[in-house]
Amino acid sequence: MSSPGFRLTASGGAGDRVVELAGVVTLAGGAQLWRELRDAVAATDTARIDLAGVERLDGGGAALLYAVRDERVGRGRGCELAGATGDVARVLELYGSPPQPEPAPPPRPHALLADVGDVAHDLWRSWQAVFAFLGDLCWALARAVRQPRSVHLGEFGSLVERAGTDGLPIIMLINFLVGAILGLQGAIQLHRFGGDQFLASLVGLSVVRELGPLMTAILVTGRSGAAFAAELGTMKVNEEIDALRTLGQDPQRFLVLPRVLVLVLVLPVLTVVGDFLGTLGGMAIAVGYLQQPAVVYVQMFELWVDMLDFGTGLMKSVVFGAAIALVACQRGLAARGGAEGVGRSTTAAVVAVLFTLVALDAAFTWIFSLLDW
Amino acid sequence: MTAVLEVRDLTIGHGGVPLLAGIGFDVARGEVVAVLGGSGCGKSTLLRTLIGLQEPLAGSVHFPGIGGPEQAMSPPQFGVLFQSAALFGSWTLLQNVMLPLQKWTLLPKDAARAVAMARLRLVGLEAAADKLPSEVSGGMRKRAGIARALALDPPILFLDEPSAGLDPVTAAGLDQLILTLARGLSVTVVLVTHELPSILAVADRCVMLDRQAGGVIALGAPRELATHSDDPRVRAFFRREAASRTT
Repeated sequence: MSSPGFRLTASGGAGDRVVELAGVVTLAGGAQLWRELRDAVAATDTARIDLAGVERLDGGGAALLYAVRDERVGRGRGCELAGATGDVARVLELYGSPPQPEPAPPPRPHALLADVGDVAHDLWRSWQAVFAFLGDLCWALARAVRQPRSVHLGEFGSLVERAGTDGLPIIMLINFLVGAILGLQGAIQLHRFGGDQFLASLVGLSVVRELGPLMTAILVTGRSGAAFAAELGTMKVNEEIDALRTLGQDPQRFLVLPRVLVLVLVLPVLTVVGDFLGTLGGMAIAVGYLQQPAVVYVQMFELWVDMLDFGTGLMKSVVFGAAIALVACQRGLAARGGAEGVGRSTTAAVVAVLFTLVALDAAFTWIFSLLDW
Repeated sequence: MTAVLEVRDLTIGHGGVPLLAGIGFDVARGEVVAVLGGSGCGKSTLLRTLIGLQEPLAGSVHFPGIGGPEQAMSPPQFGVLFQSAALFGSWTLLQNVMLPLQKWTLLPKDAARAVAMARLRLVGLEAAADKLPSEVSGGMRKRAGIARALALDPPILFLDEPSAGLDPVTAAGLDQLILTLARGLSVTVVLVTHELPSILAVADRCVMLDRQAGGVIALGAPRELATHSDDPRVRAFFRREAASRTT
């Protein structure tokens, strides 16, 4: 380790001590200066730090000298910096600070009740923001219906491409694998009871009514929902949203409505593709594991799965699409505080959308069971 | 006078295409040098090349006696204020200034905090230490950026458009701060700007760039250039300031 560059000599007793500093007092030797100087003046009533022998002082060194002095003064003990001349005095003067007689009071410890209150307050505020957002969106929708041209559809094509076409391969792969996994689990159990022919209905109904729409929506959340939240969050912290408002553009109609429309249109299409691939995954197991002819699987599928089953799945996917876009955009537009804020809002968006999807799916299932669909 | 920055026959550009060539000048310790020129003339590209963020196409940049940008394992020998201040948005001003101290010194946290507070005090931001960059004005962000650039007591400061977009009073305050650093702490300042009032207020010398000429067209004290330069481009640049003062 390099030499700190300064020399420190202490003289005098516990009542009144003189600490002579000499040599080069800079930030480079700051850690050692901080330690030695504080030790030298620690147990004295008054201390005088003599800087007559200091050849060079930089800003960091001056800041540390003042910090030692202020710490002592804050504890009600005397301390003075003296003897500086020339450039050393000039640097000292530049960094000069008035002594701070009172140390800052320690922060008040958090009370449990106050913390609970803060959390409840934050929750209430976030719900208020969600309702305000929905209100704004309804208003924007009403105006968009009256003036369809006021909706910004310039990036509609690229949004469809990003949310739909680009996501197609992963959606096809995951749905195929989910169908295959479900098929394999079902085939093992059904084979024990000689019910091989029911694999098509098990996989078909599960995929078409539940897993197809839900898995596709979850994948779209990870891709497009997160992208929407990050994109709008970045625009928010860069004041681009404010700029839009000053240009007379409503962010709801300019940014949110196109995204909602895109997902409402794209998600059902992706779901149909997902349903097909999921069913195909089940068929692969039926043919490969159960040695069942493909035509039997298709016939059983046709027998058990009707258009109402497809309809319920597609109905879900329309609502899921709207929910993903709405929640992601709302969280994105609520971003604050730079890059970290965008990260937080994106994470919050994905979590909130996933929770919303599962809650909506449960509600749909309950409603459909009541309607005997 | 000892040079702390030597620029020799430098060619700068993007993607192998030269923008400016044959740039050469020295900067002495404690000197304030303004690199000036019109918008898009390559001032910021020159700055990025000087601080090592961009490779020169030809020529060299030396920092005699203090190392240079290539010494990646040692503390940076210069501080940089970027045009946007480039403060970390999710950190307070104090945390921004403490970052280089915690990275490059062995100071314990309370000592690093004291040094960072002293830097903020120097630029008049002690009371805003716990604020986020988004909670302070553009001028305050610039001053916080200077405090961060000063954190390690670098012998050279590079400032990219420090007073751009600021009101005249705030800009004058920043000019005063630059003078304080140069005269009081002997910090060498290389200033990239096209703000004429700032140039006239703080610069000891100017390096004037011109895109069409493809290099340096004037080198000298600002008032001398303003009054005695034979180059019509230099005269036009400085005359614009005279016109703005009469309005």
